[in-house]
Formats: sequence, structure tokens, C-alpha cells
Amino acid sequence: MSRRTQRIVGAPPVRIIGLIAALALGPARARAQLPAGIAAERATLAEWLSNASVSPRAAIATVDVGAGGVAIPGAAGARAIERDGSVWLDGAGRARVLPAYRAVTVGSVTVVASGDPGRRRLTVFGPPRAGPPPEYYPYDSTLVFTGPLRTIAPLPHRVLTPDGLDVAAAEVGSVAFRLSGRDVRLRVMRIPEPGTEESSLEIYFRDATSGAGSYPAGRFLTLAPIGNGRYRADFNRARNPFCAYGPAYPCPVPWAGNTIASPVRAGERYTAH
Amino acid sequence: MFATVAAAAILAVGPGGSWRAALDLADGTLRFGVEITADGQGGRLCNGAVCTSLSAVRVRGDSVILEIAAYAASIATVRRGDSLIGYYHNVGNRGPRTIPFRAARGRWPRVQASGALLGAWDATFTTDGRTSPRVLLFNRDSTGLTGALISNTGDYGHFWGSMDGDRFALAHFDGSFVYLITGRLVGDTLRGVFHAGLSTETPWTAVRSSGRPHLRAPTAMTTADTTAPFHFAFPDVHGDTVASTDARFAGKVVVVDIFGTWCPTCHDAAPVLVDLYRRYHARGLEIVGLAYEVTGDTAQDAPLVRRFRDDHGIPYPLLLAGVSDAEAAGATLPQLHGFTAFPTTVFLGRDGRVRLVHAGFLGPATGARHTLQVDEFRSTIERLLREPAP
Repeated sequence: MSRRTQRIVGAPPVRIIGLIAALALGPARARAQLPAGIAAERATLAEWLSNASVSPRAAIATVDVGAGGVAIPGAAGARAIERDGSVWLDGAGRARVLPAYRAVTVGSVTVVASGDPGRRRLTVFGPPRAGPPPEYYPYDSTLVFTGPLRTIAPLPHRVLTPDGLDVAAAEVGSVAFRLSGRDVRLRVMRIPEPGTEESSLEIYFRDATSGAGSYPAGRFLTLAPIGNGRYRADFNRARNPFCAYGPAYPCPVPWAGNTIASPVRAGERYTAH
Repeated sequence: MFATVAAAAILAVGPGGSWRAALDLADGTLRFGVEITADGQGGRLCNGAVCTSLSAVRVRGDSVILEIAAYAASIATVRRGDSLIGYYHNVGNRGPRTIPFRAARGRWPRVQASGALLGAWDATFTTDGRTSPRVLLFNRDSTGLTGALISNTGDYGHFWGSMDGDRFALAHFDGSFVYLITGRLVGDTLRGVFHAGLSTETPWTAVRSSGRPHLRAPTAMTTADTTAPFHFAFPDVHGDTVASTDARFAGKVVVVDIFGTWCPTCHDAAPVLVDLYRRYHARGLEIVGLAYEVTGDTAQDAPLVRRFRDDHGIPYPLLLAGVSDAEAAGATLPQLHGFTAFPTTVFLGRDGRVRLVHAGFLGPATGARHTLQVDEFRSTIERLLREPAP
């Protein structure tokens, strides 16, 4: 990627300056060895999916809590109710408040409360479930782009996160690049990470592999800052929303305009089991 | 044969000793120290002179794993020659996170910071056009450049780093929080980036503190219902309920410390409160700690609270009040409005009513501001002790 040179595509009125794919690199360079960092990320994800108590593979259900309360699947008699902006657990001993974003054992299940006040959600997990590691397309170094984020005045949106949580996000701009001879422009949202100082710049996109090798609803890609207002978009790190790992999670609706006409054969694949 | 023996001798050298370590964030290098004990079993992560203990160091062949159990985090490395190369892992709300790690033998050099940087700066952080205030403090000690970052609700702990020309970088990494402040001194302005985690960047600018308040006063963050005595009733670590209406609190000045054992600034505040208790208890001060813990499950929380009590030698009762998010905690204390920070210190007069609510706590990393805050706690208590009993 360091060999890539930047140039402008998409003249006004769109005025998108983008993450530009260099044309100089021939196919011989297209495949390269998987960088150690990506290998480590994938190994960690595979281990977490198989072993974590809050792995999406172990999820039984996600339930909207609400002021009326809801029975917790798999926890006989236990109910969750939203009151004063918090999720309360009732019917399993003394009523108590569930902490947000922390795993709590209730009977034979594990639950995690999340979401904004008025939209609290409970995710219910059974025992961890081992499974095969996620599958990926071969590493393709030509699908790594660097360039500026073309910013706009932030526009508020409610979107679903990769784990299907309804959050207040902000569309902060777009990135553009050339792929398979076409200009591509993708919208970028800042998605907050609740309870931390962190947030991520995310692209949720579909491409010609969606439903034909990759997950039908689309995939997420996180922009990584590389300094001076520039970012790296590495499609080898494209990853599935949690709904690809189990039926408990709502799937994010594809973001309008974020469909790439050509196939992006990099990053996480999807095989229906 | 001779060569083989020599090679074996080199490999037999354990990981014990000092390492200059770095996390390679997407757009910045976070430098810190790792100290591993001579027996290779334990160690510490250090930001200059301030260190966090590792829960374990595991060595197997050329694999060296540093564990931080309290945060469900680890640094998994392999020995490459006499370097450690690997990844720091923790688990966020949406799955595991991985940040490249590397370390070599020795310590980071101590770099004398320019006097032009030292002191207090009023900073403005900007995210997508929205601004929020912070205060940056720079100091120097025997380890080099130190610093603190203060928001409306407290500080981010001790930062340590170095300066190269007009550029500086200070880090706070304790096994859980990954914070890096980078910036440049340009004339009488600082411009920089605050890095959180692998890839969150927040640009900021700062000017010399004018002396006028830049942050909201900690006593203006949370308000209280003062029409009735402040009420609480929660079980202590033995399961016995302690309530504000108990005889021990009648006619006393009471300080209510709303804290969590998971909260670093709460650990900073505990010794201060213990000192206040020893100083003023005989004159009519009572203190009670309300613990808001990770699980809300007594079986898991009580041992953590007992350990907090023992570590700090706390002579006053600690109660299991709830779970550790601000909204949930606020719900258990309906007389407080706008509860936002752990710790929050509530001062009650001899009539049991709230006189002052102090949100957040400035730890020792903030130097004179810490001292000033402790003085304010003392003067508040002395003023309340002088009030007549109802």
C-alpha cells in the first residue's frame, strides 16, 4: 500500500477525493502473504467465537426490554424491565439493576444489557459453542487503499452496529477510490463505543460477492487513521455483522449508496450452514 | 558441541528484567515500560514511576504471556532473539481487540522536557465538529515528562512520555486503558491528537490556562434534593443493612463516597478519605462508602469490596449499593440528579441533608489541583462540623 500514489477521482460537483488504488501494480503483486497483524486478529476472533461466554455463536436471543418487561429466554421465571433508564432483573431473587455492557449470569444463561435509555436491549447467551473458524478470501494487497476522508457537516443517523444494536451514529463523510476500473464512493459513519473514549469510523458495504460468497446483507470495514487526516481502508479486514454468526442478532440494513458493483474478493466470506 | 552449549545458555536466559515496550496504534506509538521479576513469574506495566501489577507472567518455550486478569486482557508475545514481539488483546463490547506490541531489553531514555511545555493548559477536544473541554498538565520528575488529562468528571490517570524538539508524546497504559497524547508546541499554542484504543483519534488544541475556570466546577455537576435528609440503605459486606437512619449517623457530619473497586480514581480517593476519617471522626465525622460493582451479584462483588477495604485500611463501612454504570447507580439514589461520575462525594450536614456534591476526583497525577481539592474537602468538613446539631 505504501507504493500507492494518490490522485483525485470524481470531479465536482461530487468533489470526492479519495482513497485511490494505484494502477501501477500488476497482478503479480495482487496476492501476497497474509500480514501477521491480520493473522493475529483472525486467530483471536476465531478463539473468541468458539470460547467466549458472550460469543455471538452462543447467543440465544436479543430482546428489547421495554417498560412492560420481558421474560428472559432460558432463565425460568426471570424477567427484565426497563425502569428509570436502567434494566432491572426481576424474579430471580432480589430485584437488581443489570450493569450495561457487562456479562451477568442469570440461572443457566448469561445476559448482557446494552443500548440507549428507552431502547435497552438484553442479549441472552447459552453455553459457548465451538465451531469452525470464519473463512476468508485469500489476502489481496491491491484491496488496501489509503487517502483522506472527505468530511461533511456531521449528519445524525440511527444505525445498527455490527452486533445489531440501534445506536445514534453520525455520517461524517465519504471515501472514494477506483476499483476494477470504476469510481467507488462509500459513506462513512462514526459509531460510538459506549462507556469508553472510543468510537470507530465504519463503512457498511455490499459488493458483487454479497450473497455469492460473502454475507448477503453486507460487511463492515473500519477505517484506520494513518496521520495527516489520512486513513487506511483494508478490505482484507472486511468482517461480517454478528447476524452472520447466529440468528439471534438483527442484521443492519445496507447503507444506501454503499454498493460496489464489482466483486470485492477479500476479507471474511460466508457459507450458509 | 561448544556452539550448541553457548546457544542453549543464551536461550536459557529468562524474561526477567526491564523492557522498553510499545503498542503500535494505527497512527502513533505508545511507549511504556515492562518490568518482569527475576524469577519470571510476575511483573508490572509502568508509565514512568507509576506501575500496574501483572496478574501473571507465563513462559513456555519461546512464548511469554503477560496477563492482566482484572481486565480480562493479556499481552501474548514470542521471543525473537532478545526481543518480545506480539499482541495486546482485550475484549470490547463488540468482540476482541488486537494491538501490535513489541519490546526490547532496557528502559526508555529519560528525556528532559522543555520548560515551555510545563504547567497547565486549557484544551479543547473536537469530535465531528463538537467540542468539549479538558485541562492538560505537564510536569517533570526523575523519569522524564509526566502529565495528566482532566475532564469534567475526573482525570485519566498518570501519563508519562518524552519530548523531541517541539513534539511530545505521553502515554497511559495500565493493561485496560490505552491512551496516548501526541502534540506539538507551536508558539504559545499546543496542537495534538488524543488517541484512545487502536484507532480512535480526537484532535485538540490548547492554550495556557488563564486562571479562569475552563472545566465545569465539580460541585456543579450533580445536584441533590435537600428538602429531606439524604437516604440510603444497603447491605454491608456481611449482609447486614446499614441505613442513613441508623443511630451512628444521627447528628453527625456524614461523607458518602460513591465508588467502585474497578475505578482507578476511586483508589486515589480512598487514602484521602481514610485520612479525613482519622482526623475528624472524634469530632463527629462519619464516612460511608457505597460500592457500585461490576456484576451486582453479592457473591462476586463482596470479596472485591473486602479487598478494597483491606488494601486501603478503611475503618468505615462499605456497602454493596449496586452496579457500576452511572444511570443504574443514579437510580438507586433518587435524591441525586445528574449523577455522572465515579467517585462522587456527598457531604451531609448534621441534619442529614446534602450540603455539597463533589463529582469526580483529581488523583495525585494532577499535582497542585489534587492538593487543593483535598484542602477543599477538609475545609468543607470543618465548616459542617461547626454547625450546631439539630
